[in-house]
Amino acid sequence: MKAVGARLPRYDGVAHVTGRTVFVDDVRVPGTLWVKALRSPVHHADITRLDTSAAETMKGVHAVVTWQDVPLLEYGHLSALGIPADEPLLAKDEVRYKGQPIAIVAAEDEETAMAAVAAMKLDLQEKPALFDVRKAFDADAPVVHQWGNWYPHFEAEMDRRQIRKGDIDRAFADADVIVQGVYRPAAIEHVPVETQSCQVVPEANGRLTIYSCTQALYFSLGVVAAHLQVPLNRLKVVGGTVGGGFGGKVDTATETMCCLLAQKSGRPVRWRWTREEEFLCSSTRAPWHMEIADAVTEDGWILGRKMLTLHDSGAYARFSPYGLTKHSFHHTGAYTIPNLHFDGYVVFTNRVPTTAMRGFGVTSVSFATETHVSRIAEVLGVDPWEIRLKNANRIGDTSPNGVAYADPSTVPVVKALADGVGAKLAPNLQAMTPAAREGDLLPEHLVAQIGNPEDH
Amino acid sequence: MNLTVNGVAHEVESGPLTSLLDVLREELAITSPKAGCEQGGCGACTVLVDGVARRSCLTPVASVQGTEITTVEGLGSPSDLSPLQQAFTHHYAAQCGFCTSGMMLAAQAYIDGGGSDGHEAIQEAIAGHVCRCTGYVKIIDAIAAVARGDEFDLTVTASSAGMVNLGGAV
Amino acid sequence: MTQATEVLVPTSPDEAAAAFGDGSGVTVIGGGTIVMPEITYGRLKVGKALLLGKAGLSGVSRNGGTVTIGAATPIADLVDLPPPLGPCAANVADGEIRAQATLGGNVCAGPGPDAPRGDLQGPLLALDATARSTGPGGERSEPLESFLDDRAGRLLLDVSFGEPAAGAFAALDYPHTHEYTVLAVSGARGADGAVRLAATGLADHARTLSGDPDAAASEVRLGDDALASGWYRQQVLPVLVRRVLADLEEAR
Ligand SMILES: Cc1cc2nc3c(=O)[nH]c(=O)nc-3n(C[C@H](O)[C@H](O)[C@H](O)COP(=O)(O)OP(=O)(O)OC[C@H]3O[C@@H](n4cnc5c(N)ncnc54)[C@H](O)[C@@H]3O)c2cc1C
Ligand code: FES
Ligand code: FES
Repeated sequence: MKAVGARLPRYDGVAHVTGRTVFVDDVRVPGTLWVKALRSPVHHADITRLDTSAAETMKGVHAVVTWQDVPLLEYGHLSALGIPADEPLLAKDEVRYKGQPIAIVAAEDEETAMAAVAAMKLDLQEKPALFDVRKAFDADAPVVHQWGNWYPHFEAEMDRRQIRKGDIDRAFADADVIVQGVYRPAAIEHVPVETQSCQVVPEANGRLTIYSCTQALYFSLGVVAAHLQVPLNRLKVVGGTVGGGFGGKVDTATETMCCLLAQKSGRPVRWRWTREEEFLCSSTRAPWHMEIADAVTEDGWILGRKMLTLHDSGAYARFSPYGLTKHSFHHTGAYTIPNLHFDGYVVFTNRVPTTAMRGFGVTSVSFATETHVSRIAEVLGVDPWEIRLKNANRIGDTSPNGVAYADPSTVPVVKALADGVGAKLAPNLQAMTPAAREGDLLPEHLVAQIGNPEDH
Repeated sequence: MNLTVNGVAHEVESGPLTSLLDVLREELAITSPKAGCEQGGCGACTVLVDGVARRSCLTPVASVQGTEITTVEGLGSPSDLSPLQQAFTHHYAAQCGFCTSGMMLAAQAYIDGGGSDGHEAIQEAIAGHVCRCTGYVKIIDAIAAVARGDEFDLTVTASSAGMVNLGGAV
Repeated sequence: MTQATEVLVPTSPDEAAAAFGDGSGVTVIGGGTIVMPEITYGRLKVGKALLLGKAGLSGVSRNGGTVTIGAATPIADLVDLPPPLGPCAANVADGEIRAQATLGGNVCAGPGPDAPRGDLQGPLLALDATARSTGPGGERSEPLESFLDDRAGRLLLDVSFGEPAAGAFAALDYPHTHEYTVLAVSGARGADGAVRLAATGLADHARTLSGDPDAAASEVRLGDDALASGWYRQQVLPVLVRRVLADLEEAR
């Protein structure tokens, strides 16, 4: 264990500082074609005509690919987890977000590829678009998705992720105060300095070598193989050099399309998104809508929480059902609340599909919970450090989904924060540890909380 | 048209308004300058033109005809790292590495211009450069270390100041 | 960019003027910081390009009380000038862009697609600058404001202004260097004691203001864009005007 705790130099540091690191767009293969995409110029429309013939016959154009060329058009990013497919690789008869790819082209150079895209004829019948998750449930809301406006396929075909724990009615009946709040963090683009990029080289033996900036190599391998309907051993993915991802390079955004173009043209192809495409068409961190009502006592115990979450998935499901699930498991943040009533929906809108970003599903609710705990402290006139430490997760407390904490970090983190900002904690708070609850810290409403870790 | 890149003279065939970035990357296959935005906003494409840091994506090649271009390959090699290259390695200033070459050339111009180890002056010097990984602190530490004339032990990574120690509990 | 383009690189102002001719079919490139992305992304097709870098149109000179600045002068060379021009120049982009971008490109930049640009127009209007340009009908000198109203087809050669007795600059911008200025007010008191104010960050190019803070928002067009709403600009403009007036007063 020489590495643990040691300050080792980076294995790729010298390559980075000497310009020797080969990122995907730095791979040079003779005869490589440039890729560009025809994308939806509007948020929501029916495609009434797509004519790529002028592009196909253009000098310097080697392949044009539309939905008709994809062996398996729809594949779900989480099919392996039983989440059904909903997103076509290339739009067929409807576009559901601005920037959705409709046709792709591989040409001799970038200029020709751009000209080929400009030569494609696309007729659209524009439809009303939905952007606000709160309006998704209205009777007259535009219908975004083939499944309706929210994801209907949680376990047992539930249309929501729900958590019921303890006795929520009693918690609200016993409360001195109900503190409510609504929290709406916005979408965030990851902005990796390296935009989405991919190169695919068709090998003499019929295999495809895929140079990918993916953060999830084996995942991309599976997605490409499924769309192409080929066994995994026909594909070789070269990855591991990522120019920043932060979650935004988990979706398989470019690899499958480049493979189809390489197959059709028989030439190596290369696609580097422009910064504009990266901003407008790459997936973002989701915007969330969270409504919280907490049942609290005058001395700062949080007895129960009712929460409604609307997770903006954008136009397709991608990873959102998974993100919402994580969100639900963490919806009390760093604190233990024994009585819970949580409903969360994955809502479809005509935005670019959303995805993972650092702490997928959890940062949103951490933000909401921390803000809400401070709000409770303000409403009650109680010290915010005290509320945090009293309700902190302790050994043996259980999470919303019933996992007993073996090594919770709330107490040391809160104490370190207090120390870091120079806040003086009362002696009883300063003496606190994550040890199992007892004495004053085991009020009646928490007694039933202490599970036997062996039970889980 | 001709250009000298890292001491090697090149005859260039690209059109005169082709960006210097495209000439370097596509015609000469010198790929350390990166195409992060191609509109001046990120700094990943910065190279030295006669010693001056410049966004190669905004520079028509015709305007730099006959100049000396330096990319990060020209600063030093793996077996002979320049002080700045040593500093970026030692201080962990290159994380994913995509912003690194542009960032280092801005830093090199700053050092060559006699820049001090003052953090504000360094921030000003790299103000046009976006790094999404490091949070800039380690980059600024590395540049300051070179400005001070530090020596670097490349078998370890420097410790960073300002970390909160949570003790054994976490 | 593979298509053959004719590129002219004049080496004197006269050569530049001759190469520009009546301007038809000519794309002028100063620093190229605006033009180049347009070319790279295929939005601008260039037949004939005029590169100003070596045309001898660069430099700041003083003659009596008059300051003359060549159109191809890099913005970096202006940052040490007194207010309002110096601080305004220092507020443009970052050091690398300032070293490449020119005064002419800044003054002649059309409005941006998502944000105002042409920051230097403000201080130059406040300084009551004269623009000297060439184009159809030959050379012409005129107040900057009239040049801005009718600059299409002109090659800006230089701007000149009388050194002010005092100047001030106040901008609303974000701390990030890549953010263009949301709104800025420049002010100068001329040698004759007259005070002139101008604003940038408008829906239009820079405009002069009367100097009455409460009237300011009604004197110019304030639009919504990616940086701020017109409403927000209306609230801020009087504040900036007051700040500039106070600074000018203090400099007395
Ligand atoms: C990262 C970044 C940040 C920026 N921040 C700012 C900012 O904060 N404030 C701001 O105002 N701008 C900003 N800009 C925009 C731009 O860089 C500046 O406006 C700059 O001054 C333009 O000058 P240039 O010489 O590079 O223009 P060019 O691109 O060379 O030209 C711009 C336009 O002016 C024309 N032109 C150039 N010279 C002349 C002339 N002598 N006569 C007639 N027409 C001419 C060109 O034909 C073109 O239409 C920024 C740009 C970038 C990339
Ligand atoms: S690629 Fe040149 S600044 Fe981003
Ligand atoms: S190290 Fe990744 S962007 Fe700077």
